[in-house]
Amino acid sequence: MKLLLDVGLVFPVLVAGRLLLALTNLSGVLKHNHQLSSPLTSYLNLQEGIYLFKNGIDPYSGGVFRQSPLFLALFTTVLPTSRTACSIIWTLCDAIGAWALVQLWRARQRVAQTSRDGLIAAAYLLNPYLFLSTLALSTSSFENTLALLSLLFAARGLASPSLLAAALLLQLSLSSVLLLAPSILLLASSPVSQLASPRPFVGNGKKILPLLAEFLVYTTVLTLASTLVSSGWAWIPQTWGASLTLPDLTPNVGVWWYFFTEMFDHFRPFFLMVFSIHLVIYVAPVCIKFQYDPLYAAFVLLGVLGTFKPYPTMADPGLFLSMIAIFPEIYPYLRYPIVTTLLHLHAALLMPLFHHLWLNQGTGNANFFYASTLVFACANGAALTDCVWAGLRIAIGEPQDGYVVVQE
Amino acid sequence: MLIHWKSHFLWALCLPLLTISRSLASETFEEELTVRALRDGKVASRFSFTTILDGETPRNPQNLSVEDTSQHYTLFPLTLGQILREYAVTEMHLSLNAGKWNYKRWGYPDEADVGSGAELWAWMGDGGVSTVDERWRGLRNGLAGLFCASLGSLDELRTTSPSFSFTPQGGVPDSPFPYAIRHASLPSEHVCTENLTPFLKLLPCKSLSGIASLLNPHRLFDADWHGMGLHVLWLPDQGVQVRLTFQSVADPLRPSANKRDWSFASIFDRTIDRTCPSATSSRVAVALPINEAYSIHPQPSSIEQDHAIFNLEGQNAPLDVSMQWAAEFEYLATYFRTAETPLSVRRTLQGSSQDLGKLSVFITNDGTVEIQAAYLETMPWIVQFYLHTMTFHVDGVPRADLVHNISYIPPIPHSRAMTFQAVLTLPSRSTVHLSIDITKAFLRYTEHPPDAQRGWDLSPAVLVPLGPGAEGRGRRIYTPTLLVDLATPDFSMPYNVIIFSCSLVAFIFGSIFNLLTRKFVVLHAESN
Repeated sequence: MKLLLDVGLVFPVLVAGRLLLALTNLSGVLKHNHQLSSPLTSYLNLQEGIYLFKNGIDPYSGGVFRQSPLFLALFTTVLPTSRTACSIIWTLCDAIGAWALVQLWRARQRVAQTSRDGLIAAAYLLNPYLFLSTLALSTSSFENTLALLSLLFAARGLASPSLLAAALLLQLSLSSVLLLAPSILLLASSPVSQLASPRPFVGNGKKILPLLAEFLVYTTVLTLASTLVSSGWAWIPQTWGASLTLPDLTPNVGVWWYFFTEMFDHFRPFFLMVFSIHLVIYVAPVCIKFQYDPLYAAFVLLGVLGTFKPYPTMADPGLFLSMIAIFPEIYPYLRYPIVTTLLHLHAALLMPLFHHLWLNQGTGNANFFYASTLVFACANGAALTDCVWAGLRIAIGEPQDGYVVVQE
Repeated sequence: MLIHWKSHFLWALCLPLLTISRSLASETFEEELTVRALRDGKVASRFSFTTILDGETPRNPQNLSVEDTSQHYTLFPLTLGQILREYAVTEMHLSLNAGKWNYKRWGYPDEADVGSGAELWAWMGDGGVSTVDERWRGLRNGLAGLFCASLGSLDELRTTSPSFSFTPQGGVPDSPFPYAIRHASLPSEHVCTENLTPFLKLLPCKSLSGIASLLNPHRLFDADWHGMGLHVLWLPDQGVQVRLTFQSVADPLRPSANKRDWSFASIFDRTIDRTCPSATSSRVAVALPINEAYSIHPQPSSIEQDHAIFNLEGQNAPLDVSMQWAAEFEYLATYFRTAETPLSVRRTLQGSSQDLGKLSVFITNDGTVEIQAAYLETMPWIVQFYLHTMTFHVDGVPRADLVHNISYIPPIPHSRAMTFQAVLTLPSRSTVHLSIDITKAFLRYTEHPPDAQRGWDLSPAVLVPLGPGAEGRGRRIYTPTLLVDLATPDFSMPYNVIIFSCSLVAFIFGSIFNLLTRKFVVLHAESN
């Protein structure tokens, strides 16, 4: 096994294994699963949108299709739409994501190859949250790969590819705009781990504004392209607007859907605003606190997104969990990794079960599934707070006998 | 002074003349009852009360801003007239039915609108100060008040514009602006006495005399199928026509297992004692059996095309038409092997899950000729089609070429209903199977009806045979309604959910900000 990890065989083997899995009929079973694909990422909705688009009906005139017009452009011209072809495309997309994660790890360590590479690839390709979502052909796989590519290019100092990837990601998911700040900070500084030795921001602050302008140019161009593809602005309220107004209350693993199912009509706009702003609030404090390590700030914000974004799928917290693999320096400082793992295990087993009991079996009600999503949010929150703690605690170092480390 | 007084006097004389000049448009009222025995021993009766306002035209929507001419009617129902003028309705059809019309055994109904529950559709011209949708809302609320029915629930969630399947049956006046249709149906509406009473009030003789005296609620609402209708049309060469109809299917076999003899007294528990003096024509038509021995009493006034006609004018003695068959009724399986109508539709919603399902429609053409038919499916937004999963099979063989002219208006969550229209080619002597995957929506807890676990009734689909030579061309065939089971949240705990979710968010938010804002310090353990 050690040898396999060393010679770099593990990556091709994992991808081959995933491709074999993709060719089975699992996607037919999983594509309906609410935990693996949300209304904004579902493969069924994508197919419906493509069908309507091809037949001259505006897919954004109704409420079924909520994905980016860029998908329509791609799938009606370049990419095939048959399920087998899609399974292969999705798996290859995951392979690119895993490759980006490995490269991100190497860039952080500033080495060409390490013995951990295989492990990191496996952490991404074998993460059940990620590979089940990919098998369900949820487009969140594309979002994850774009997020990783954006971070990878930023870590390598390639401004234009990084910002283009971030702009593409924004087209697919509005909430991912949170990642923009750490990406730009990463472009202006370095990806090397500075967690153990905090210092003020050392990058070139003057680069930030031109980078932001470049991002805005890409976003404008892509927005215009989307408008051109869908011949109208109707796509904006249907895609971006959906993450703000939550018109579709299909159950998912997040905290929004049941909250707004049970919300009193009078308070709905207020709480929609609160929940949307709540996501944005994390950006500044996290980026300021981790200004010496923007990659870690991006990692923490991915954790926030995985826990609190409006239409999450398993793949969103999955990306956060897989990314823990590239920060081994924090492991000794995690306070309760066992508790977090058990919470995740608990939620991951109960959610499909309670979902089935509620919607298919009819022997449980919505509260069962809601309770399990609360446990899942607890698990994600536990992982997130523990990672924030460990990322800060590492600066103090190992405690000596007779001394304790506390927060004042 | 004298001249002045005279002019006043003349003016005072002219005033009533001016105001009644409109009412001089003559009004005619005709009533007819048609009774026919059905193949399975039941008796279908159709009451039709027609009032025509001669030379009148529907109100031009462009004149909605100016005050309308005053309305004086003698026979025409004023309350209805006011609603029609107020909202400038050119044509409208309302039906309130209970039960499932069995096309296979009973054939086509005399009145086409037999979809279960309430159905309302209206053609209105555009170009007024208020839009068609505003007037549509006013119309359904006005009719809801008039008929004591929950037509107010026919809101935006259920309103569609299927102009293809519901064409105007009368004429429409020339207008520079287009005419638009609004259609809505409420399959869960229960039709009962409280709807019949206001219906009878619209008739000139109420239920006191004429054939309307047979409308006995105790018997009508006990029938196997019953339904009432209101149809307002504009006939360009006659005027505005209001037709009130009542259909029922009674079962004489219920009290006696093999005697299908019927009489007014047995079906309605009443007889026609007096004629309605307002009616210019008042008659009863009874369809006569073919190739069977029967007797009919009393002697009909005349016989027209296998129908015995009884004219009620000059009728003195109470009229109780009765019919007896010589042979006893026998259920023959062969009766029902062949359908009365060439087309029959079976529509089901499959799948036990509360988030996904499949709509499956079987359309059988028993005829010997190929039929083109328009198929209309309207659904509230709670059921969304996956159009890309639509398959079309004829006897198990995929035949996508048989569906054309698909028009699809996708639903908008929490507001607009879905409309799916297509023209189907139905080959002779074969069954066509149409199947579409559907997804069921998850509603806000305030959107569920009080009895949420019962599910939602879905409107019937409508099939309209088209093309020359097709039997029953242009006659709508309604499918039975469907019931969809939606997932429900827990209605008892909105507070709990808000508290739990907010606590969790606050807890994680607080923990993270606690970590981010406080400094780490190293303390000597003994000094603590």
